[in-house]
Amino acid sequence: MTNTASVGAKRGAPAVTRPPAAEDATRWGRLVAWKPYQVLTGLIFASPRRQFLLLGIIPLIWLITQHLGPMLQMFQVSLLDAYPVAPGTETHFTLDNYGTFFNESVFQKPFFRTIIYSASLTFVTLLITYPVAYYLARYVKRENQLALLLLVLIPFWTGEIVRTYAIMILLGNNGAVNIALKWLGLIDRPIPFMFTGFSVSVGLIYLTALYMLLPLYSALEKLPRNFTEAAADLGAGPWTRFRRITLPLSLEGIGSGCTLVFLISTGYYGTPVLLGGPNSTVFAQTIAGFFHVAGDKWPTGAAFAVIMFVAALVLSGIFTRLIAFLRKGDS
Amino acid sequence: MTRSHRVVLSVVFWAFVVYLFVPLALMILMGFKDSKFIGFPIKSYTLDWYIGVFGDTELMVTFLYSVAIAVASTLVSVLMGTWLAVMLAGRAFVGRAAVYALMILPALVPGVISAIAFRIYARQLGIEPGMFAIIWAHAVHNVPFVTLVVMARLTTLPRSMGEAARDLGADPFVTFTRITLPYLKPALMGASIFCLLLSFDDFVRSFFLGSYQPTLPVLIFAKLRSGMSPEINAISAVALVLTAVLGVWAERSSRRMNKDT
Amino acid sequence: MSKLILNRRKFLGTTAATAGILASPAYLRRAHAAGGEVNVWTYNDFVPTDFKNDFEKDTGIKVNVRLVDDQGKQFNLLAAEQPNPTVDIMTVAGHRFLQFIENDLLQPLDVDRLPNWTTINPVFSESDWSTINGNKWGAPILSGMEVLAYNNELVPEEDVQSWMTFFSDKYKGQTAYVIQDMMSIVMLMKGYDGNMVEYLNDPERAAEIVAEARDFLIEKKPLVRKYYDGGAEVQQMFVNQDIAMACAWNGPIAALMADGFPVSMTIPKEGSYGFVYTYNIANNCPNLDNAYTFLNAILAEPEIGAAMTKASGFISTFKGADAYLTDSEKAASSFTEEELANLQFFRAEANEMKYGLVDPAVEAVKAA
Repeated sequence: MTNTASVGAKRGAPAVTRPPAAEDATRWGRLVAWKPYQVLTGLIFASPRRQFLLLGIIPLIWLITQHLGPMLQMFQVSLLDAYPVAPGTETHFTLDNYGTFFNESVFQKPFFRTIIYSASLTFVTLLITYPVAYYLARYVKRENQLALLLLVLIPFWTGEIVRTYAIMILLGNNGAVNIALKWLGLIDRPIPFMFTGFSVSVGLIYLTALYMLLPLYSALEKLPRNFTEAAADLGAGPWTRFRRITLPLSLEGIGSGCTLVFLISTGYYGTPVLLGGPNSTVFAQTIAGFFHVAGDKWPTGAAFAVIMFVAALVLSGIFTRLIAFLRKGDS
Repeated sequence: MTRSHRVVLSVVFWAFVVYLFVPLALMILMGFKDSKFIGFPIKSYTLDWYIGVFGDTELMVTFLYSVAIAVASTLVSVLMGTWLAVMLAGRAFVGRAAVYALMILPALVPGVISAIAFRIYARQLGIEPGMFAIIWAHAVHNVPFVTLVVMARLTTLPRSMGEAARDLGADPFVTFTRITLPYLKPALMGASIFCLLLSFDDFVRSFFLGSYQPTLPVLIFAKLRSGMSPEINAISAVALVLTAVLGVWAERSSRRMNKDT
Repeated sequence: MSKLILNRRKFLGTTAATAGILASPAYLRRAHAAGGEVNVWTYNDFVPTDFKNDFEKDTGIKVNVRLVDDQGKQFNLLAAEQPNPTVDIMTVAGHRFLQFIENDLLQPLDVDRLPNWTTINPVFSESDWSTINGNKWGAPILSGMEVLAYNNELVPEEDVQSWMTFFSDKYKGQTAYVIQDMMSIVMLMKGYDGNMVEYLNDPERAAEIVAEARDFLIEKKPLVRKYYDGGAEVQQMFVNQDIAMACAWNGPIAALMADGFPVSMTIPKEGSYGFVYTYNIANNCPNLDNAYTFLNAILAEPEIGAAMTKASGFISTFKGADAYLTDSEKAASSFTEEELANLQFFRAEANEMKYGLVDPAVEAVKAA
C-alpha cells in the first residue's frame, strides 16, 4: 500500500529506463556476474519449458499436499458410513451421504437460499463499494489516499463476534438507532430491525466490503485519468464516459472482487447465525449442524461441504467466463 | 469531473465510513459500562474493564501470540500465493484450470469443515496441535486470497516493461525482482493486510488446531460463554488500538526501508 | 471482575479445606513428587482461579486449562485427537455421556480413588442418568435446567404458568428458544416423554411423537422472533428488549438477574428438563494419576462449588455450597418446591433414537 502513489507516478516511465542509483546497480551487477548465479540461472532458464517445470514444481507440491490433501481426506470421509471410526468396527463405502441431500428437500432449501443470498449480497456490496472506491481512487489526492484507505480498513481489525454484538446493540429494539429515532420524535415504538434480512445485510456487508473495495480500488486507481479527460474533450457526457470507459476498464476489478465476495459469503456462519431470523438458515449452518451433533454425522456434513464447494466453483467459473466475455466484447 | 459528482461521491464515502465506525464506537463505549452486560441504557461508567485488560498479562501474551501467528502465516501465504499467481498469470499450460481450482480450494470450504479436515490431516502428518499447526492452517487458507489479488494486478503489467528489461539483457530472475515485484507492491501490501486480518480474526481453525494457549478469538469465544460483557469489548478495543499502532509502525518502517535502498 | 474470585485468605483459612488436605497427605505427596501437569478442557470460570493457584502450589502439578464453548466442538476435537488425546479432564453434560462413551472417548471413573466423592449431593451423584453400564463416568459439578425466562416488566406472572404462553398470539414476535430444547419441551407439554426412553421399544410411536412436535413448531413459526444457540445471545436479546420471554438455561438468566436486569425465571406447570455438567477423564489420557488428584481436590470443599456457581450462574452439586452464596445469588439459583416437582433430568438411554429423529426435525423446522 505504501507505494501505491509512487507506482502510479512511475507508470509512464518503467523502472528499468530510470537510471538506478549507482550502488544499487553494482549490487545487481555483482550478482549477475557471480559464477554460481550464472550456473544456476543457466540451468533454470535454459529453455522456457525447463524454467516452467523447475519453478512450478514447488507450488505444485504445495497445492497437492496442502490444498488438496486435507480436502481429499474430507472427500474420503464423505464416502464412509461412519466417522470417526469407533475402535473394533469397520467402515464401508457408501454414496448415501450425497443421496441425503438430493432426496430431502429440507436440505435443498437452505442450499439455494445461500446461493441466492450470496449472489445478491455480492451485488449489493458492489453497488455500495463502487462509489466508495471510485471516490478514493479518482477524487482524493494521491498523498491522502493511503490514509483514507487505512481509515476504511481499521474497523476490520476487530473480531467478527464482537463486531456482530455491536451491531446488535446498534439495531436492537432498545438499540442506538431506535433510541436516536425516538429522541428525534420520529417513532413511538421501536422498529424491529434485528433478525431480519436487513440486520444480516448490515452485518455481512461489513465483512464483505473490504474484499470488494481492495480489488476495485486497485483497478480504478491505475485507470489513466487522461482517458476520461480525453473523452470529455470529445464531448462525452459523464454517464457515457462512465459506461464506455470507466466501467469496462474496471471490469477486471469487479470480476475479482465479486468472485472473492461470493466465495467467502457462501461460507459465512457466525454473522448470519447471530443476526438472522427464523427464516434465514444458511447452508453453512446446515453443514455445521452435522458436526455439532452425534459423531456418525460427519460423513454427511463432509458430503454437503463437497456439494457446496462444487456448486460455488461452478458458479464462480461461469461468472469469470462472463466477465472475460464482457471484457472482450468491449475492447 | 463536475463539482456535483464530487459532492455526491464524498457524501457516499463518508456515509460508508460512518457505517464502518459506528459499531466500533459502540464497542469502545461499552467497554466503559459499569455492568456485566453491554447494551443501553448505560447507568454508570467505569474504567475498571480497561484497567483490567492492561493488568492481565495472560491476555497480553494471548494478543502477542495471535499477532505472531498472523505475521508468520502471512509471510508464508504471500510467498506461496504470489508464486502461484505468477505461474497462473504466465503462459498457458496443460492443467491450468486444474491448478486454478486447486489454488482456490481452501477459500471455498466452510470454516468448520476445513478446520476438521486440517485437524485430521495434521494428525496423519504427525503435526502436534499448537502454534505451528495454526500458522500452517492459516497460511494454507489465505493463499487463494493472495493469488487472486496478485493475479488481478499481474494481468495489467504492461508487457513492454518485461520485454524492455530482457532486451537490456536481464534474465527472468532479475526481470522478476526488478520489474515485476516493484509493480506488484500495492497488490502485495493489500494481500498482506487481507491475510493478517483473516488470520487475526480466525476462530474455528485456531480452535481445532490450537493447544492450551488460546488465540485472541478463541479466548473471546470462551469468555462469551458467560455473557457478552464490557470486558470483552474492552479487550477488543485495546487489541484494535494495539494492532493499529503495530500496523502504522510497520508501514512507517517499511517506508523508511524503501527510502534507504 | 474480582467480585467473582474467592478471597484467597478466606479460602485457605477454611478448616474444611485444611482437613481435606490433611485427609490425604500421602496421596498428595506422591503427586507432588510426580509433579507434571494436568490438562483440562472446560468452560470459562469452571476452574476457580484461586483453587487452581492453591492446587498448583500444594501438589506441584501444573493445571493447563483450555477453554471450550460448546459440547459439540469438544466432542469433535476429542474425536479428532483419539487415540492419543492431549486432554486429561473434560467437561461433559451428563445427557451427552453416551455419545462420548460409545465412541470410546471416556474412561469409567474409579470412585475409590476419589475420597471426596461424598461432597457431591447424592441427588446428582447417584441419579439414574449418572450410572451407565454399571460405571460412573463423571463427577457432577454444576447443574442446570431449561427455564422459562421472562422480562418481568413486560410479562405478568400469570402469563408464565404454562409453556403454552410461547405459542399465544399475545407474545408474537417476542419469544426466542433453541429448537432442539423446545422439541423436548413440546413433547413434555403434550404429555409425552421428551427423553423418549418410554418408546425405546416402539420406534414408530417415537417417530410419530417427534413428527407431531415438529409440525407444531412449524405451525407456530410465525410467532417466534429468534431461534438462538448460545446463552450470550439470549442475554443480549433481553437487554436489547428484542424479546419478552425465552426458553433458556438457568445459568445465563441467573447472571442477568444478578446484574439487576428485570428478568425472572420459572419452571412452568408442565415441568422441565435438567442436566448436569460433569468432569470426566478422557480415555488414554496422558496424566491419569494427576487427573484423579485434580478431581479429588476440586471436590474437597463446598466453597469451590459456590465459586463455580457465582461465576457461571449454574447450581452447584456440592452439599452445603449455598452457605457461601449471598442472598441474591441464592435467589437467582433456587426454585420453589412446587416448581421443582415436575423437573426431570435429561436421560441418555434413548439418545441415539431421539436425536436420530429430532435432528432432522430441527432441520425441517429451520428450513420451513
